[in-house]
Amino acid sequence: MEEVAERRGARPLAFLGDSQRRARILTFAAFALILLVLIVFEGLHDVLQTSINGLSLGAIYALGAVGLTLVYGILKLVNFAQGDMLAFGGYIAYLANVTWGLPFAVAAILAMVFVALIGVVYERGLLGPMRERGAGILQLLLISIGVAFILRAIITFIWSTNFKQLDVNRTGTKEILGLSIGDTQLMVIVVGVSVLVAVGLLLRYTLLGKRMRALSDNLDLAETSGINTRQVILITWIFAGALAGLAGVMAGAITDLKPEYGFALLLPIFAAVVLGGIGDAFGALFGGLLLGVVIELSTLVIDPKWKVTIGFAVLILVLIIRPQGLLGKARTV
Amino acid sequence: MTEAAASAPAGAPAESPNVLEARDVRRSFGGINAVQGATMSVRRGSITALIGPNGAGKTTFFNLITGFYKLDSGSVYFDGQAIGGLPSYKIARLGMVRTFQITKALSRMPVIDNMLLAAPDQPGESLFGAVFRPLATREREREITEQAHELLASFNLDKKANDYAGTLSGGQRKLLELARALMAQPRFLLLDEPMAGINPTLGARLLEHMQRLRREEGVTFLFVEHDMDVVMSHSDHVVVMAEGRVISEGTPDEVRADRKVVDAYLGGELDDVSEGGE
Amino acid sequence: MDTLVLGISTSGFNLSFWVGVGVIAGIYAIVALGLQLNVGFTGMDNFGMAGFMAVGAYTMAILTVDHDISFWLSLPLSMLVTMGFGLLVGLPSLRLRSDYFAIATIASAELIRLVAQNAQGLTGGNQGIFCSDDFSRCYDDAWVKVSDTINGWFVDLGMSDPPSALPLLVVAWIIAILLTVALVRIQSTPWGRVLRAVREDEDAARALGKNTVGYKLQSLVIASAIAALAGWLLALNLATIHPTDYEPIVTFFGYSVLVLGGLANYWGVPLGAIFFWVLVEGTRTLEIFESESQQVALRLFVAGAVLILVMVFRPQGAFGKREEMMLGD
Repeated sequence: MEEVAERRGARPLAFLGDSQRRARILTFAAFALILLVLIVFEGLHDVLQTSINGLSLGAIYALGAVGLTLVYGILKLVNFAQGDMLAFGGYIAYLANVTWGLPFAVAAILAMVFVALIGVVYERGLLGPMRERGAGILQLLLISIGVAFILRAIITFIWSTNFKQLDVNRTGTKEILGLSIGDTQLMVIVVGVSVLVAVGLLLRYTLLGKRMRALSDNLDLAETSGINTRQVILITWIFAGALAGLAGVMAGAITDLKPEYGFALLLPIFAAVVLGGIGDAFGALFGGLLLGVVIELSTLVIDPKWKVTIGFAVLILVLIIRPQGLLGKARTV
Repeated sequence: MTEAAASAPAGAPAESPNVLEARDVRRSFGGINAVQGATMSVRRGSITALIGPNGAGKTTFFNLITGFYKLDSGSVYFDGQAIGGLPSYKIARLGMVRTFQITKALSRMPVIDNMLLAAPDQPGESLFGAVFRPLATREREREITEQAHELLASFNLDKKANDYAGTLSGGQRKLLELARALMAQPRFLLLDEPMAGINPTLGARLLEHMQRLRREEGVTFLFVEHDMDVVMSHSDHVVVMAEGRVISEGTPDEVRADRKVVDAYLGGELDDVSEGGE
Repeated sequence: MDTLVLGISTSGFNLSFWVGVGVIAGIYAIVALGLQLNVGFTGMDNFGMAGFMAVGAYTMAILTVDHDISFWLSLPLSMLVTMGFGLLVGLPSLRLRSDYFAIATIASAELIRLVAQNAQGLTGGNQGIFCSDDFSRCYDDAWVKVSDTINGWFVDLGMSDPPSALPLLVVAWIIAILLTVALVRIQSTPWGRVLRAVREDEDAARALGKNTVGYKLQSLVIASAIAALAGWLLALNLATIHPTDYEPIVTFFGYSVLVLGGLANYWGVPLGAIFFWVLVEGTRTLEIFESESQQVALRLFVAGAVLILVMVFRPQGAFGKREEMMLGD
């Protein structure tokens, strides 16, 4: 009895559960409060309209973030090439969609397949062998930066530094409940969220997902308990690549393609990953969506030119206050 | 908390016979209580063993009293001075130096640099001193280099002085870590499983060193050990932890006879008692 | 204003082109010396050098242009400001694990750059700071005078028409070499020994009474001062200060130079810088490609290939000791 009282005295808000649960609840509470304040001052319509913009941005972040976090969870590698893998997806889609004139959906699938393939080559050709040689964190990190450069070099070489656009309908809008939603935007939200939900279910309820989590908890232990770790790692890369490819296509659908656009998305994606607790796929999913919405909502109060900085500010703040993340499960840092 | 606050003494007397006093030390991780109210003391000049089944919280306790983990509650006194909450490096500077269960040889530094690093009062360790007091720095460097070579020689490591520490064998690393800790001129040495992973010859030499240092330099030792033979024959006081608490204390014979200790080990892991002289 | 834009490649040997390459190499040698202190000797994967360079350059220019402080006084002042930023970035982030620290520093650098890009009033925003027609925003007048004087000496020495960037080349490399010597010397002191211990194992260093956070902070603050140096030189070289000059790629190129020269070896850094930039810029003199895009692509490709090849085949770099890479971790 006394012990319980003691801990309650020492740590405020203990009734909300362990510290991770507390962080999650407080984050959502804070977010809800901000929403409420914004609704009061800016009106429900504006807040909802902006949130929809935020959701499409957030879906892109989340797609990139889930891949990044899965790879980190298992390999403890911060993959700096993720952004450029994403951009590669966008350009493959451009090749299929604009140059070859294939339908957008086909182009998106091709992009996913191609970037997944990049992931496979990257893992089997470089990272796997380097890990076997006992490469350190910095070594692998720098290799990932090198791969990022090479991918961007190939993009720049083939498609030049000029802006490119995918063949999507950017002007069409739908009116739903008084809100206008761009067709492309709606597509991004629907495709992004449904793919993410599917991935989430897969991770939670299939044997593969269970194995991925086992590897993420303890790679060596998973190996000794008879899991084919090489295979699971490869599948993780296929996931990460395909999701990055899709994210690249979605980002390309709502903005223009230029060689740096993937790298520009990398830091907000990092932010989403850290927000969700690095290594935690569900955390990354929610982190991405939340970040997208927060960034767009910020334009209601501050000059939109600052909205990109919001992503970095969130990233730095979370790293300072709670590096293990606000949304995911607890992890030591 | 109530207990800890109420029992806060007006500082244990400076000439207390105890070099270390830990009172009701607590720490939990994510809801699991790793150390839940450990109270113990270490007499000055003693070789005290800290034993207990795996998961008893011995290493966590070590980390708590040396400032590597933060205390949830409780108090720790070193030579009468309250050190709970002090950062680890300050505790070390007071003369309470620890080693680690998994040796932390500074691999990519020569053995001799490992030693010199530990020496206190080197003015050249501050940026200001390094730049503006080159003479004092060089003078001190000469002193401690000599000292380091002597110590290395007594541990049979002098031939390795200029090799990278990472090239040493496991046993040699253990010795280096002890020698390095001694360079810091500790009054109180805390060794976390000093015998683990080294061969019996080296182990015996390490024990001799401990005995000699206690005798000649008056160093007090607290060490975590699994080998019961070593504990029984080389310590004069034994503290037993189980499930995050101190369950028994006394001379080796008293502890051996304590029913609670036997129960704790039987409830924990049998190997710990029986692994004996392996 | 004489802006040396690389990319004017003509066939045969072009002195002013190679002088330009030399200036860039000197600047990156300085950047990578700062990285060497952090990464090679303290074990801190600092990815924020570009941000500190920006702080140094912008502060120098803002003090000179907007506050009429002399160019020469603005140099130490801007260095102090940059060191303050180093402290600001380091204090909350030093406790983080190395990969988190990498992310935190790169994010801080980007935050700095984006603020520079958007705070028009202070930094000129996307326009940057440069000499406009009325010369009201010129920060490098004082330097141009010195530069002309130095070039006068070259003329006196019998050099007809010395390249305009030649004085900057001389100054950049004098700074780079002096800095190398200074860092080598400070590294050999007990202070440097503690840094290495922090790199090897922070817990062990703390258990031996070293205030590891303090040392890491010192290392980072010194590196930010070094970055300020590089930032001014870049600003003088380009004769403009623009947010895009301080993108993360600057830091990444710094890492390429660092690993080429080898970790934990200061003298490798200037050599690595020369090697890297001759490789990167030299490939364009081959005139394999015509379009500007393809030239950009080639540069990225070479930089990426350098990072990958060095890390795969010679992780200790050209001049590093093998043990430095292999005994760690």
